[in-house]
Amino acid sequence: MMRPHARLLLGLCAGLFFLPSAFAAQPSSADLPQRWVSAGGALTEWVVALGGESKLVGVDTTSLHPDSLKALPKIGYQRQLSAEGILSLRPNILVGTEEMGPPPVLSQLRTAGVQVEVLSAEPDLPTLKSNLQQLGKLLGSEDKASQLIASYDQQLDDQHRWVEQAQQHQSAPGVLLLVGNGGSKPMVAGVGTAGDWLIKQAGGRNLATHTGYKVFSVEAMAGLNPQVLVVADRELAGPAALQALPRCRPCSNRTRCWLRPRLAAKADCWIWTRPCWWVV
Amino acid sequence: MRVFLQPRPLFIILSVLCFLAFWLSLALGPVSLPLVDTLRAAIRLTGIPIQGDNLEQAELIVGQIRLPRTLLGLAVGAVLALSGVAMQGLFRNPLADPGLVGVSSGAALGAALAIVGGSFFGGLPDAFEPYLLSLCAGIGGLAVAAMVYRLGRHNGQTSVATMLLAGIALTALASSTIGLFTYLADDATLRTLTFWNLGSLNGASYVRLWPLLLVCVVIICWLPRRAKALNALLLGESEARHLGVEVESLKRELIFCTALGVGAAVAAAGMIGFIGLIVPHLVRLLAGPDHRVLLPASALAGASLLLFADLFARLVLAPAELPIGIVTAFLGAPFFLYLLVRGRS
Amino acid sequence: MLQAENVRIQRGTKTVLEKIDLDLRPGEMLGVLGPNGAGKSTLLGALCGELKPASGEVRLDGRPLAHWSAAARAQRLAVLPQSSTLSFSFRVEEVVAMGRMPHDSGHVRDAEVIHAALQAADAAHLMGRSYTALSGGERQRVHLARVLAQLWPGGNGQTLLLDEPTSALDPLHQHTTLQAVREFADRGAAVLVILHDLNLAARYCDRLLLLEGGRPFALDSPDAVLQPDALKTVFGLEVLVQRHPERGHPLIIAR
Repeated sequence: MMRPHARLLLGLCAGLFFLPSAFAAQPSSADLPQRWVSAGGALTEWVVALGGESKLVGVDTTSLHPDSLKALPKIGYQRQLSAEGILSLRPNILVGTEEMGPPPVLSQLRTAGVQVEVLSAEPDLPTLKSNLQQLGKLLGSEDKASQLIASYDQQLDDQHRWVEQAQQHQSAPGVLLLVGNGGSKPMVAGVGTAGDWLIKQAGGRNLATHTGYKVFSVEAMAGLNPQVLVVADRELAGPAALQALPRCRPCSNRTRCWLRPRLAAKADCWIWTRPCWWVV
Repeated sequence: MRVFLQPRPLFIILSVLCFLAFWLSLALGPVSLPLVDTLRAAIRLTGIPIQGDNLEQAELIVGQIRLPRTLLGLAVGAVLALSGVAMQGLFRNPLADPGLVGVSSGAALGAALAIVGGSFFGGLPDAFEPYLLSLCAGIGGLAVAAMVYRLGRHNGQTSVATMLLAGIALTALASSTIGLFTYLADDATLRTLTFWNLGSLNGASYVRLWPLLLVCVVIICWLPRRAKALNALLLGESEARHLGVEVESLKRELIFCTALGVGAAVAAAGMIGFIGLIVPHLVRLLAGPDHRVLLPASALAGASLLLFADLFARLVLAPAELPIGIVTAFLGAPFFLYLLVRGRS
Repeated sequence: MLQAENVRIQRGTKTVLEKIDLDLRPGEMLGVLGPNGAGKSTLLGALCGELKPASGEVRLDGRPLAHWSAAARAQRLAVLPQSSTLSFSFRVEEVVAMGRMPHDSGHVRDAEVIHAALQAADAAHLMGRSYTALSGGERQRVHLARVLAQLWPGGNGQTLLLDEPTSALDPLHQHTTLQAVREFADRGAAVLVILHDLNLAARYCDRLLLLEGGRPFALDSPDAVLQPDALKTVFGLEVLVQRHPERGHPLIIAR
């Protein structure tokens, strides 16, 4: 598999090569795609954050924030996209992660002259930054992208300092991060996931040792005895997300449960809209 | 006394329906193309150079997206309907359906195993992937069909109840095995496993179409030649034997044919249920159980039905798409229940 | 001509039929009688090739039955089972037409034969009707027509085996059916028919085979076989044997 950068470059070149005259005007490198279709809740949020909401003509079913997106046509679940459906929106570009599919649809779209940008979903900082820069370039708001990256870096620095200070007083707490999906069985973030990265950034210890996202039994969660339980749900917020947890809460009395509903998507999505803070 | 349609009017009606389904499938879709453009693009595709401006988009949509999809729908619909007829002849029961009996799940499991096995060796070679998938799906379907048949046989009689129950058990086994793979897999290759559960004609391409078309042609050419023998088989196995039919070899052919057909269909489009149940039933209602009429009529009717269902699936939620397995289930399950109720009275 | 030589049939370790030496002669109607479980249906199964003999042999025209191809055998041997499990709504003439499968005689000839066979089975008035809409007796007659059509017109070298063809029929049709089968035999076919009714057997059959406990008790003309003490032994029934006033064949009256 190619590195994300090389892939993006190739995709970009390929997209430009196949653009037919029937679609948008023949683009030079100065012309930016005006009609955007985005697949992946987090990506869509970034497009909006970079000021591209007006360019969006269609989003997938995981793109739920901000609420104004609900008015846009939905192209379906990102793994089962419909070529003709997307083409009916006359897009110039389709952005998404490697989760987009099925592959024949993507190649059909490329043949139709739609630029298909596949961004990496690796949950680490360098990927995040390069993706942001790429999006910024495509949206024509590189400055905004740089700003966002800088502010994010700043936030992370602040966070690291705070963690260092906190760790002088006590050891890192054991944490489990649960990602829910509208109330269905929440999954525990394992090693190498975005949730894991988040926990580390916040100075906690991820008690889960598996890779990827897996469903744990209540007993298993209780057995791990987390001191902090973070619950992120795509749709539910606040008390509603708490209700969705199993009745017998996997925390002892010492555990605090924190809820951050804006952590986007349940699969290996790498982008977080804002960092997660908690107090031990 | 029930009046049946004569074969000739029936075939005329079904051919017109199929033709209509074909053209509507090419002409309609989320992208609205003027009908003239569709026609011109279609003519262009056959190689005849015809004048027309702005035809690139039409040619692309019609030629690259809609035409392979339509052909896929035709082939899957025909093959599933014929497999249904074969299965109902084999079990001598009009409620037998490859999906209900577990053959579709077996085929899906076979394909899933091919994907899992392929990922061990670093991915399946692109050129062979559709053929390999079809083959493995066919083997999976064959294994289940043979098992169900064996389980349902007792003392020379076929118990339909046992066969359906065995089908339920084997479907559960196949589905949970696929679920296990999905659960254990983090790898991108295995994400396609979720594809099998709800069939869809989405993403149809000519490459994926070939194995299915091949199988379709084989089945369409071979099954109707056994029409008379299938009729005799309905009398009963001994009666068929006394009429000179080589019953054992016929049964093997039917099992093989069903597994091959369902396997190819599942490999190409995922699990699409109830076509094998609804279509032969409707055709029998219209034209009687004679296989000489039933087989070709079911192929035409199955193709038409699937194309119409696909049209609905494509347009109802545009620009998103409903998996066609949902549409056929919504049509088929109530129909099945209705048949059960009617059979009792 | 169908021959059975010292045939023994076993089911698992149990011998259900043995010492069967039988010759079905052309033009002759052989009736098989016996109480339930005597082995009548087993005998039929052995004669038509459904059941493989544990020892002994069944021969058709001198060749062992197993050596015949299904198609060739179907042109000379037809079997009418006791009941049918057909549950699809074919038309009556389509069911009868299935009997013509072993033959390559073309549409026109087939249609003639179907019509004639239905006439013979007294089911011609059922033409055009759906099989599943018929009563049990009517269905039985349709199957008889099918089997007659398979061997039509019936002549030397053809064998017809019937398993209780009158079980679901009313008294009139019991007679018309057996009369049709009789005429078939008169044209030269060899016929074996399993019957429950002793009087029907006495009237229509040339020879009778009386089975008891899987063994032949008697094989002879009706006069010789239908004796009070024999019937008492086999059936456990006290009977009087008289002569039919008009036809002269034995008439069995239970005491």
